Amino acid sequence: MTAIWAAFGLIFDPFVLMVIVLSAMFGLFVGAMPGLTATMATALLVPVTFFMSPVPALGAIVTATTMAIFAGDIPAAMLRMPGTPASAAYTDESFAMAKKGQLELNLGVNLVFSVVGGLIGVAFLIAGAPLLAELAINFSSFEYFWLACLGLLCAIMIGTGDPVKGFLSLFVGLAIGCIGIDPAAGFPRFTFGNIDLMSGINFIPTMIGVFAVSELMRGAMTVDEAGHMVQEKVGALFRGIGAVTRQYWRNVIRGSIIGTLIGALPGAGADIAAWVSYAMAKRFSKEPEKFGTGHIEGVVESTSSNNAALGGAWIPALVFGIPGDSITAIVIGVLYMKGMNPGPTVFLENPQFIYAVFIVFIIANLLMLPLGYAAIRGARRLLAVPKNILLPVILMFCIVGSFAMTNSPYGIVLMLIFGVFGWFLEEHGVPVAPLILGLVLGELLESSFMTSMIKSDGALIGFFSRPIAGVLGAANLAIWAIIIWKAAKSHRRAAVIEHADT
Amino acid sequence: MRLSDNWLALIFIALAAAMIGVTTTFPAFPGQKYGPALFPRILGAGMILCALLIMYRARQRRQEGASEPAIAVDPVFRDPVRLVSFLAVPAAIGLYLLLVDWLGFVPTCFGILAALMLWFGVRHMTALVVAVVMTGLLNWFFGTLMRVPLPRGLFMQLVQGG
Repeated sequence: MTAIWAAFGLIFDPFVLMVIVLSAMFGLFVGAMPGLTATMATALLVPVTFFMSPVPALGAIVTATTMAIFAGDIPAAMLRMPGTPASAAYTDESFAMAKKGQLELNLGVNLVFSVVGGLIGVAFLIAGAPLLAELAINFSSFEYFWLACLGLLCAIMIGTGDPVKGFLSLFVGLAIGCIGIDPAAGFPRFTFGNIDLMSGINFIPTMIGVFAVSELMRGAMTVDEAGHMVQEKVGALFRGIGAVTRQYWRNVIRGSIIGTLIGALPGAGADIAAWVSYAMAKRFSKEPEKFGTGHIEGVVESTSSNNAALGGAWIPALVFGIPGDSITAIVIGVLYMKGMNPGPTVFLENPQFIYAVFIVFIIANLLMLPLGYAAIRGARRLLAVPKNILLPVILMFCIVGSFAMTNSPYGIVLMLIFGVFGWFLEEHGVPVAPLILGLVLGELLESSFMTSMIKSDGALIGFFSRPIAGVLGAANLAIWAIIIWKAAKSHRRAAVIEHADT
Repeated sequence: MRLSDNWLALIFIALAAAMIGVTTTFPAFPGQKYGPALFPRILGAGMILCALLIMYRARQRRQEGASEPAIAVDPVFRDPVRLVSFLAVPAAIGLYLLLVDWLGFVPTCFGILAALMLWFGVRHMTALVVAVVMTGLLNWFFGTLMRVPLPRGLFMQLVQGG
């Protein structure tokens, strides 16, 4: 109980509250600008929060991402351009509503149910994380090894269109993570005598490169293209929300639960949650034929879902140190930098930080109502910020931010290399999210693997010798079996079709 | 710009092979069966396996009659203006790295911001004002508030007389 009071004390500090409000505005802006994502907002925030103590640093990230995921809905409805990929699933639906003259209803629903979904996600986080942490406290290297494998496997199965290229990206990420001092024997690997490389690949400049610089390179080509706004004035936002709630409350609940679960699965975040929930809403709807014509039902479910996913993603991140999405992947990097190694021990040693994260989540979602309302009102001016000014400014911010992470040009060099490399990979249909997850989880995976190998003296049966490790290991094998079975089936089908042709 | 899947796979096979090659120089510690080379070798093998699968799929597609050029260039890149815009982003970072230690943060930042904005078609006056304000803000925020040692270079030497 004292920890909760301590957490309140940490949050209700003028500086922390100021950081929360400022990062809320930052999040709304970044989220509302098409082409700037919530992940990018987080990556850009990290250099700023680097010098803060853990609570304001985490508070800034939580608030900015919560706002950004909602704010992405604004240009989706007004310009038919999702502000963040998390709004892409229902952009066409929202725009169709705006064209029918239901812009106010759409934005009001997005705002209110983003808040509701977000709060439900947080409720799951508050209820679930401490329980899981109690279980995780007994985990040994075997369990962590299987958990990391399971996380990476999920990331590839759910998060990417092409599993083979997903695995390739993952292996590349893990291999990049090997650069530096190896965790088992302390031998410097792949450093070629370079002192900067000895410290390993710094995580934040890499993220800024992959998620921001590559995006800026793509954006630079279309800097002169702007969207067309359907309706410039926004009327009463909350009219009709009551009726929508009465009719579609089941969608809100289902969307929030699915969103939390998908968020909690490693590698899949708000964007995939929104797609799945939109599809589910259509599947279970009484009037699926209305979907795509400006029907509110799918919007209700998926806008709840993507905000719920944010809270869900923090569950594995805090409990196991395994990121639920690319935002929490950055968060884990921040936690390590602050000397708070994520894992069940944080719940024992620093419970006030965990409670502080919970409280910030609740504040951020409540703050979203007034600030989101203001953002919708000011959307016309917000969306008028020209890209050709924004792009150079963001680029310069990335450069200085990366420099600040290493206090040397090394950070900028990393950012440049990974910016170009990230662009190259995406250009070839290789997803970059597994690479980042591999980079984050590389050390956990390797050290738990090496420890387990040494403990069991190389006998793989040792990996299944403990009950929870056995279950997790079996789950891993089961997923592999499904993958291979599916691949074989589609192969055979292809062969049959070929036969039919000849 | 897009290489064919075959070439993409070959690049990654070469990288993975080089990585495994480097691991052979890693020391083995007496009494320890599993050394620092084990994990990178597993990863290298995984990369090669994925690359081979990608090549196998490409071969199947070819057998079905699909043809894939070794390099496909996106039509956007044929427009020289867009190509320069695209290259301007990495070029600006490279230029910053080259110049900043010598010139100092303030003039380098201002110059790059102004040049990029002018290239992207921002009006002269606006570009100038934004470049000055943003340079000042970044310098104040990172240099003064967060005490990041931004390179001082020629500029600060001139300003502070040595």
